[in-house]
Amino acid sequence: MASIVLRNVDKIYAGGVKAVNSINLEIKDGEFMVLVGPSGCGKSTALRMIAGLEDISGGEIIIGDRVVNHLPPKDRDIAMVFQNYALYPHMTVEENLAFGLKLRKMPKAEISKRVNEAAKMLGLEQYLKRKPAALSGGQRQRVAMGRAIVREPQAFLMDEPLSNLDAKLRVSMRASLNTLHERLGVTTVYVTHDQVEAMTLGDRVCVLRDGLLQQVDTPQNLFDNPVNLFVAGFMGSPSMNFVNAELVRGDGGASVAFAGFNLPVPQETFTEKPGLDQYIGKKLILGIRPSDFDDAVIANGHAGGWARLPVRAEVTEELGSEINVLFLIDAPPVQHQDTVAAADAGDDEEAALPLVGDKSLWTARVNSRSHVRPGQNIELVVDTHNLHFFDPTSGLAVGHPANARV
Amino acid sequence: MNHGRLRFVTGFLAVPVALYLIYVIAPYAQAFYIALTDWRGVTASPAFVGLENFRRLFADDVFWTAVGHNLLLLILMPLLTVGIALFFAFLLNAGGRGGAAGVWGSKFYRVVFFFPQVLAVAVVAVLFQQVFRPDRSGMLNAPLIALGFEPVGFLSDTGVALWSILGVLVWQAVGFYVVLFSAGIASIPRDLFEAAAIDGAGGAQLFFRITLPLLWDTIQVGWVYLGIAALDVFAVVWVMTAEHGGPDHSTTVMAAEIYRTAFQYFKFGYASAMGVVLFFFTIGFAALALRLSRRERIEF
Repeated sequence: MASIVLRNVDKIYAGGVKAVNSINLEIKDGEFMVLVGPSGCGKSTALRMIAGLEDISGGEIIIGDRVVNHLPPKDRDIAMVFQNYALYPHMTVEENLAFGLKLRKMPKAEISKRVNEAAKMLGLEQYLKRKPAALSGGQRQRVAMGRAIVREPQAFLMDEPLSNLDAKLRVSMRASLNTLHERLGVTTVYVTHDQVEAMTLGDRVCVLRDGLLQQVDTPQNLFDNPVNLFVAGFMGSPSMNFVNAELVRGDGGASVAFAGFNLPVPQETFTEKPGLDQYIGKKLILGIRPSDFDDAVIANGHAGGWARLPVRAEVTEELGSEINVLFLIDAPPVQHQDTVAAADAGDDEEAALPLVGDKSLWTARVNSRSHVRPGQNIELVVDTHNLHFFDPTSGLAVGHPANARV
Repeated sequence: MNHGRLRFVTGFLAVPVALYLIYVIAPYAQAFYIALTDWRGVTASPAFVGLENFRRLFADDVFWTAVGHNLLLLILMPLLTVGIALFFAFLLNAGGRGGAAGVWGSKFYRVVFFFPQVLAVAVVAVLFQQVFRPDRSGMLNAPLIALGFEPVGFLSDTGVALWSILGVLVWQAVGFYVVLFSAGIASIPRDLFEAAAIDGAGGAQLFFRITLPLLWDTIQVGWVYLGIAALDVFAVVWVMTAEHGGPDHSTTVMAAEIYRTAFQYFKFGYASAMGVVLFFFTIGFAALALRLSRRERIEF
């Protein structure tokens, strides 16, 4: 077990493309660190550099107390779990598990012991004599993890191992990974594009974008205190709602105005977010999480201090336990490179739907007891203690300690 | 299959099958028939002599020398060609750093290795005649002479000539198999090499434990083709060697004997009998090779 430190690590491809841009990251001994970000953000590249499968263009990678920049993968004492499992198709499960140990000339008894222990831990005992082609996806994934476990390395590196599994299996494997980490306590670096996996698995999560590190924090902190628009829009599903707004101070206190609405901003917010008062009378970007809404009718007993928002539900997504209410607000969609990138990394076209026109489509998550239907008018309440504010030019969160010196 | 469908399929198959029967199968049958006659190409209706040709063949020393040479080539040519081609293909695809890329200059080598295949066999034979020359102009003998050694009679020494033939055959065949095996290695998912590299496999281990087993199907196919080619050797021997079969029958092969018997001695019946023997050798070899190397298909 060991800590992993990335110091000013760069990866530059031919043509000057910087896949990884000066990343500084410290992964503590025994920590489960998740690298998350959209496609092309450099997370897999960073992982492969730690593994030794890619050359490091600049900076240092330190595993334990050794600089490993020039060590080949087999000397770094790491084990990797691949997205496509990379099991040896011509060997049985047992031989797959034993391969790495045999290459290191371990005595047969020891190999046998480790293989059987890992097989028991992962429920693979009855599959030991089968070849990978005769296994299901989940079983193959477990064999891939078993292969990493028997090596007893200083660190596990996992490259989107759950991406190829179906949804239900993914959920149960997440739980298994958590249990495994509790039990073995090995430093793990886990790459994924799925922010739900990131939130549920990581001790800490590192959000990357275009090769730059955005924020490293515990999942809850990332959710509650995102450092910029990108992290705010990336973490949490459905994503945070944004709008261009103006902060005004009236007789009854401060409020934020947008699209004909006026939400009061509690005084505590100004203390929590130092620097927010400098935006009074100015424009900024307001962010509200869908989970900070509720149906006014349902929340009647608990809505003390929550502002009211009458809206018309355009679309409702009924998820069984809750309902996503999509409604239009009369303000053009926020055009900031951070929100566009976080929302949809696929198209180059407008992120807005053609039918929406010049309005923003917001999402509110309400209790399913609300029974709201499309086309209905509904009154929502907003928890104004959880408003997020961002600078319109830089996209940085106002009042976040990391942005204090900006 | 309903009747309409059956008729449709048969209709389409009729022409190709007919062509195959007329132009491929019929000549085989004809050759079998001619082998049972003493036809010298003169009479319109040759006399039937039964198995007389085969009896004579059995006692023909020169023919059996040729068979011996073919068998030697059959064993050694696939072995050497596949071995060298595998080695090169591995270096070009997985011999580089991390076990996942080729050595520096792979793209260049890949093209250059293929050049010998592009040359016509007769051209290669003439080329090597010059390469093997026993004087100062011979590419191989010039350095030997310069160093003070006796020049080696690559094509004139009965003990060496057959090995020279083997060398030329391997030289020409390797390029194609480098390309074939490269394609095979390229179809192995890169992850496997990376996983093996992380598990601790060095170059040789990567080759023997990962590449070789996963390439087995391709190697099998290559082996059979090369074996058949070894049994069919003709042009190199006929063009490159003295007396079309080496000094004193030291490089003759079955195909050369068939050609000589048929087109120099005009003994078509006897030559056909040789052809029949060659046919059975080839079929026997192919069947044996495929049976011995049969294994489960590997799925990725």
